[in-house]
Amino acid sequence: MTPVPPVPPDTDDAVLLELTGVRRHFGGVKAVDGVDLQVDRGEIVGLIGPNGAGKTTLVNLVTGHARVDAGTIRLHRDARDVVDLENRPVHRVAGWGLARTFQNLRLYGELSVVDNVIIGMHAHRRSDVVSMMVPVGPGARGRAERAERARALLARVGLDPDRQGRQAAATLAYGDQRRLEIARALALQPRLLLLDEPAAGMNNAEKDRLADLLRSLVADDGLTVLLIEHDLRLVMGLCQRIAVMDFGRKIADGPPQEVSADPAVIAAYLGARAASAAGSAGDVAAAAAAVARSSVGDARSTDPEAGGAAEGGFGVAGPGTARRSVSAGTTLLEVEDLHVAYGAIEAVRGVSLSVAEGEVVTLIGANGAGKSTILRTLSGLVRASSGRATFGAVDLLRAGAPAIVAARLIQVPEGREILGTLTVEENLQLGAWHRTDAAAVRTEIAQQLERFPVLGQRRSLPAGQLSGGEQQVLAIARGLLGRPRLLVLDEPSLGLAPRLVEEVFDLIAGLHTEGLTILLVEQNAVRALQLATRGYVLETGQVTVAGEASELLANPRVQSAYLGT
Amino acid sequence: MRFLIDLFTHPSAWYSAHRLLVAQMGINSLLAVSIWVTLYAGMLTLANVGFMAIGGYTTVIMAIHLHTPLPLNIACGALLAGAVGVVIGLPVLRLKGVYLAIATVGFGEVVRFGIILNLGITGKGQGLTNPVADTNAILPVWIVLGILVAGLWRLTRSKLGQAWAAIRSNELAAASGAIDTARYKLGAFVLGAVLAGLAGGLDAHLNFFIDPTEYAFNRAVLVLIFAFVGGILVPAGPVLGAVLLTALPEIFRSANAYRDVLDGLILMLIVVFRPQGLIGRRPDRHRRTRPARPHAEPATASEPVSELATPEPGP
Repeated sequence: MTPVPPVPPDTDDAVLLELTGVRRHFGGVKAVDGVDLQVDRGEIVGLIGPNGAGKTTLVNLVTGHARVDAGTIRLHRDARDVVDLENRPVHRVAGWGLARTFQNLRLYGELSVVDNVIIGMHAHRRSDVVSMMVPVGPGARGRAERAERARALLARVGLDPDRQGRQAAATLAYGDQRRLEIARALALQPRLLLLDEPAAGMNNAEKDRLADLLRSLVADDGLTVLLIEHDLRLVMGLCQRIAVMDFGRKIADGPPQEVSADPAVIAAYLGARAASAAGSAGDVAAAAAAVARSSVGDARSTDPEAGGAAEGGFGVAGPGTARRSVSAGTTLLEVEDLHVAYGAIEAVRGVSLSVAEGEVVTLIGANGAGKSTILRTLSGLVRASSGRATFGAVDLLRAGAPAIVAARLIQVPEGREILGTLTVEENLQLGAWHRTDAAAVRTEIAQQLERFPVLGQRRSLPAGQLSGGEQQVLAIARGLLGRPRLLVLDEPSLGLAPRLVEEVFDLIAGLHTEGLTILLVEQNAVRALQLATRGYVLETGQVTVAGEASELLANPRVQSAYLGT
Repeated sequence: MRFLIDLFTHPSAWYSAHRLLVAQMGINSLLAVSIWVTLYAGMLTLANVGFMAIGGYTTVIMAIHLHTPLPLNIACGALLAGAVGVVIGLPVLRLKGVYLAIATVGFGEVVRFGIILNLGITGKGQGLTNPVADTNAILPVWIVLGILVAGLWRLTRSKLGQAWAAIRSNELAAASGAIDTARYKLGAFVLGAVLAGLAGGLDAHLNFFIDPTEYAFNRAVLVLIFAFVGGILVPAGPVLGAVLLTALPEIFRSANAYRDVLDGLILMLIVVFRPQGLIGRRPDRHRRTRPARPHAEPATASEPVSELATPEPGP
């Protein structure tokens, strides 16, 4: 499909979107505070910054989802046709060719995958109420033609229209839902595509395919892309220009190599480790790779600069130490030949794994490989069709979720599942819901609030006001209040800025050093394996490779599929 | 149980014995279909009985004072209900969820107590005698219903119907997909009003006498229950719900005093075991796809993926 005819580069008006002094304050919070930004035709512009910097709000102001307090937003449809976007109805802005995806997915969950895309074509459909009244003729032809276009779009973003087209959108795996949002946005035939963290929940191989898709949309279809994304490898490799936001202001704007060397950006966003790596690397590609690798802060990294800069964000021992502290304890979790099916579809097909006391075990694999399903089954949230799973004396397949939590197998779910209207402290109290030792719970909550100052300072704020990273810390702290014997973490780094990813991983490493046993599912496979004692690679519901984490890191097949090296 | 047995063994005798019930089923089905339109577009409104009253009174008043032909009377009733729908809908449809429901209940009560009880032309709540009533006109009700259900079912596949489904599913995403949500919601609300007005007109024609008690709040709730019990994904759902729940008291006639208990029990069982309605698929089935393949494996011969992947020419 060709959304817009490619615009010749020598057009007299290269500007597509122009923001001048755009401001939006929520009460006392300066979400967006006087931002100028220009996006030219055919560009891929990256918009990066810490969680809570105002990136999503900025996109919301452009698309009409939020009201602009001051400033102008202009869309240059062509040299003579310039429209003001600020405070226009959302559907009007979309009709002018601005399509977006959402950080928190907003699919038509119960409608089919194909219908999601077809509804995206709304702006380009004539009213067909009359022709649809008969099952033959122009109505039927239009319907078939739309279905065909929808299938082509699905295939283009990497979904399988035959296998997934008729499923309800909500039943897709997380990363596939992100792809579907892009397909639906493309159905609008946009001139500008606004993507809000499209790669969240994808592994490196999937991110590479996403990058290829975006390049092809720009090169072949004349699209322009504004990309909010935390994955620096993706942003650095893809964008011609990167704008960086912090506390509602734009602190840098320029080509990737310039931005990644900017001290203000380093301080606000990248963190010291990534910065030293980026600084030591000469060209963009190396910088990107180094950022990806060095955000890991791993002592065994081949990059001496990155390794030298390894420091724990929470002042806990680094992963190198943690690994050595491992002793082969008694087996805590034992899973044998686990099968889980959703209706006719078998998501987990004969998985066996074990976790011994004091270990960090990680499950890696593509979206839809069955990782989250295994975790949910272990927590009693999904029923297994057969197999065995024991946690000490508890039969996890029969016990039911409350008994499993009482046995202190605690899961921190994907997407954090913070209760946004409750305060930070109330969220923590929920973590101890099943406990009867009220006095100890109070002490432990106080301890957690002290241990994580970001939570302590915000203890009486609604948790929904926390940034993504703070919410993840809260989710882990809430899990710790269940006094876990086994802490199960489902994608703790999802949607976090690089600096926060470091901090969350350091936190996990610190918990491990304290002797906590952890089962970790993570798309950031390199980081997970560097942290873990052992790992399992899942493919289509089966374990294909298992072993010591260091072996998996060195395994060429694992590297090519998941580590993006 | 006699009720069901007779239905199959002596259909014509059954029909003569239960004419009133069959008529009621038809009217209730029409009402359920009228509320289905708004539910399909994601709006919980309880104004439909109020619109029904407008349709009913308009039809009878025109018959009394203007002696105009019945189809014109009914059409005018439906259109007046639609016009009132526009006036009510413009301010009220900014509300969502329960607030919208409450506001529309308020509208129904305004029609009943505020207008019907005060206007001389409506008999001030004493009711009106319909001079041209025809209690045998059951067939037209079911014909209209059949056409409506078929038409609305086709409508769900049109641009309009799919926009409604999108708004119901995720209003924010729908707006981002260039759907003018306010306009489409108003459209659904007004179409619902017209259909409810139509139901009111047909209902009035079946009765020698209409009075405000017909259009009470509990009927509005009943209509909502019809729709949800039947299922709101296709327009046939509300019809099934209305037919079944209207017949239930007859089916359990032999249980006498315990009839209402059985009614309530059945209702609870349906809602517990078929929360998606009698027609419609369970949303939690097939929660997950078969796992995606991490490696680019060669597509099998039956999957023309590569062919579809090629960009197609634009318009």
